[in-house]
Amino acid sequence: MYKYHDNDTKFIDQRHNQFKKQVTRYFDNELSDDQFRSIRLRNGLYQELHAYMLRVLIPYGSLNSKQLNQLGLIADKYDRGYGHFTTRQNIQFNWIDLSQINSIIADLAKVNMHAIQSSGKTVRNISADPLSGIRKDEVADARPYCELIRQWFTLHPEFSWLPGKFKIAINGSENDEIGIQFNDLGLQLVLNDKHELGFSVYAGGGLGAAPMLAPKIKSFVPEIDILSYIESVLRVYNLYGKRDNDKRLRIKFLVKRLGIEKFHDLVEKDWLSSRDDDEIKLNISKLDKIKKDFIAPIKPITSKNIEQRVDFNYTIWKSNNVSDNKVKGYSIVSVSLTQIGSAPGNIDSDQLRHLSALASKYSLNEVRTTKNQDIVFPYVRNEDLYELWQQLEMFDLSSPHNSTFAHIVSCPGADYCSLAKAVSIPVSKRIQNRFIENGLLFEIGELNLHISGCENSCAHHHVADIGLLGLNKGKEDYYQITLGGRTKNDTKLGKKLGRAIASVDVVDAVEKIVNVYVNNKQQGENFNQLFNRIGIKLFKEAVYA
Amino acid sequence: MLNSKEKTYKLLHIEQWLIEKSGDSNETNGILVRPTDDVESLFVTLKQAPLVAFDFNNFDDGRSYSQVKLLKKRLGYQGEIRALNVHIDHLQFIFRSGIDSYELLPEYKQYNEDYAIDFSICYQAAENNSGLIEQHKFG
Ligand code: SF4
Repeated sequence: MYKYHDNDTKFIDQRHNQFKKQVTRYFDNELSDDQFRSIRLRNGLYQELHAYMLRVLIPYGSLNSKQLNQLGLIADKYDRGYGHFTTRQNIQFNWIDLSQINSIIADLAKVNMHAIQSSGKTVRNISADPLSGIRKDEVADARPYCELIRQWFTLHPEFSWLPGKFKIAINGSENDEIGIQFNDLGLQLVLNDKHELGFSVYAGGGLGAAPMLAPKIKSFVPEIDILSYIESVLRVYNLYGKRDNDKRLRIKFLVKRLGIEKFHDLVEKDWLSSRDDDEIKLNISKLDKIKKDFIAPIKPITSKNIEQRVDFNYTIWKSNNVSDNKVKGYSIVSVSLTQIGSAPGNIDSDQLRHLSALASKYSLNEVRTTKNQDIVFPYVRNEDLYELWQQLEMFDLSSPHNSTFAHIVSCPGADYCSLAKAVSIPVSKRIQNRFIENGLLFEIGELNLHISGCENSCAHHHVADIGLLGLNKGKEDYYQITLGGRTKNDTKLGKKLGRAIASVDVVDAVEKIVNVYVNNKQQGENFNQLFNRIGIKLFKEAVYA
Repeated sequence: MLNSKEKTYKLLHIEQWLIEKSGDSNETNGILVRPTDDVESLFVTLKQAPLVAFDFNNFDDGRSYSQVKLLKKRLGYQGEIRALNVHIDHLQFIFRSGIDSYELLPEYKQYNEDYAIDFSICYQAAENNSGLIEQHKFG
């Protein structure tokens, strides 16, 4: 993990002191609601239906034991004993009282955590694959680049007041596990013919109401020039992005309006005139130093003879939740936070503390959060697996659903979010329960379902096998179903099944869809392959018959 | 940083400036750039302007920061750049963006510059980082 320097800590304090003064001015009526809104969002603070919500950054998903412990304390002290892991490497607290904001920020700062630029019209947290550094197929570890770029765009004097939010994702492995093409800017680490490291650049992607896959705008930018290239993209966006239509703020609309070619030309023209400035070359010696912070702290080990356990639950858990670390003798363990019957991504303070203790005992103090709202233990010795599982059992964290259908990804929806059109968490609970009752859960195999409570698409439903989007028609919640979405290498948006379905019928509809899949799939075929082969017709017939 | 009105100029909008420049020039005129203006249209005549002013009245609009950048870097402008109608919360960015002088909006008259000096550290190269520890430079 990135190791904070004194100056980093000082910077967080300075930002906090600044925000304190702004909060005071707001209470003294010296800042208007709109101005304060703009300022508080840049500090991660939202105003929701019943309370304020604070979104805390978890850069590239890494958390240490101390931080987990402190998050537990914060959940108890300021929230109702819960935190909510989001799909974008943040944790949110939903019941914040504005008068306590300063002491929460101070408590976060004690463990080098903060909410700077976790929201607002600015460069957001930069995401990387949470399995960075432990995957076998990596071109390079994305996290040191994320960290440097994140720092560079923190309170940047030119780019802190953009037309809209700006999300960057960097992928370092050959498979795109994080969906870089759904970000405003996606960077893929690549080697060119001369074996030099650099980035392919994708711009203008996004989910939300008008989902768009980011087109590639540049095949190769040398690593040393990446800051100037991103600056040029941001400059073009800052100057030409629309600001007068709230629904057209993101860079994807600019790319669409100008056309890829024109957009590319504007960026290129700016870049050619700025990239030779020595000041904005990437500082390679700083990068090398940061890289050292991220080296996996483990060496290959030959495990002793591991006793084979004949425990049915353990075996299922192991086959669904455990995979090999690239370092011999170690495993990667996923802990699913989508417990049956609880809200996806939610975690209570006891569980946070328990994870903290387990991380220090079994995973060298570190865990990672993922876009599927799981917690990953990256460095577990193979011989410790059984013991870890037993410990997880004690706190209800051993749910073996990691790659099963019960692992539903859901946004907070109308229960917590003021933008929501429909609920999402209760629907996911109903679906989970149905599939436990009908006994299909472990038969289905890998199949994913995502639910977003409105078109902002926080749960990324467009890229799920089965996507549900909440709509509101009169008094009742409705859900628009999409099928066949996909991330990884051939990213695809799901196809609309047909007219939206009322909440009372939506679980039946999902069950019918799953039945079509189970009844038609060939040996080893996943949902996406089946969908490509048979198309949407059978699904339509089953649901709307 | 200058917070002064020592020299006053008559400010012309870009279109007006361009028309005037095609006739006789009046050395005391400056240019007022709005966020929607295209600064690159000033390419030919810019050098003659002693002052270019930018309007920061809209709290959320950051276009002027990039316009200033273009003016200095791409068009090589060396005269005075002034920020008008500045919100106090923008000063930290104004200081570092290559702007030479500013005028705060009247509602901030009880504040002085010290209010806006919150940071001793920065993470990126900028037109003016004086007095700041530049964290990006350390190896
Ligand atoms: S998708 Fe909509 S309802 Fe769900 S969290 Fe995002 S904004 Fe809120």
